[in-house]
Amino acid sequence: MNSARPLSIPVILGTTRKGRMSHHAARFMVEQIAKREKILTELIDISKMPLPTDDAGEAVKDAAFSDKMARADALVIVTPEYNHSFPGLLKHVLDSCLKEYIHKAAGIVGVSAGPFGGVRAIQDFLPVMRELGLVNIFWDVNFGNVSKVFDETGKLADTAFVNRADKFLNELIWMAKTLRYGRDNIALDA
Amino acid sequence: MAHYENKMICPKCGAEMNHHADKLVDPVKADDAKHINLALGGVIEEMHYCPGCGAVASRRER
Repeated sequence: MNSARPLSIPVILGTTRKGRMSHHAARFMVEQIAKREKILTELIDISKMPLPTDDAGEAVKDAAFSDKMARADALVIVTPEYNHSFPGLLKHVLDSCLKEYIHKAAGIVGVSAGPFGGVRAIQDFLPVMRELGLVNIFWDVNFGNVSKVFDETGKLADTAFVNRADKFLNELIWMAKTLRYGRDNIALDA
Repeated sequence: MAHYENKMICPKCGAEMNHHADKLVDPVKADDAKHINLALGGVIEEMHYCPGCGAVASRRER
């Protein structure tokens, strides 16, 4: 691996809904990643992206988002569960790129008002990630009953999530390093 | 395997790129018709990665 380049692991906040609690979860994940050495991170809020909805796929690719995905070694995707699935606009955004994702690691953070922590949204999401060429890890972070996990100011109220996020990130970083080594060094016909 | 003999050059730093994946995609570009692999049911997009700077690039399989 070219160790001179730090790993890049952005966090995608996958909802545009006003008052979204997922924002607290995404910010928390950014804070946890930022504690790690030699890893760059940032919050990518899809509500700030100028994506048109009168076309789809790579035709609506946003240059800044494409560049961030190309530089990323792994993605943390924070998705709420809306009607048992992930938000349509999140898929609209992800569908705008392809080559940028191939053989890169991804982990999903589920958020829900109820007790299940977005597990149905995550299950729905897995085949999409596979088709996009992302390699999903086997850890998730599930923010169930999210209004009890964060206080009104967005401060974490349930510190058990620090350890959960730690396990999730350990696996994600291992996968990111391994896949970068593969992209750097292992040809398809090797 | 002619495509392996024709390495992509990184558009950002000029290094040789590593061809690390082939992805089956739907034919959407104007000249895709001549590249369709009927056995696979689509067009193969080669995925390349730059070990020097981390840039990504792709091209239709030739």
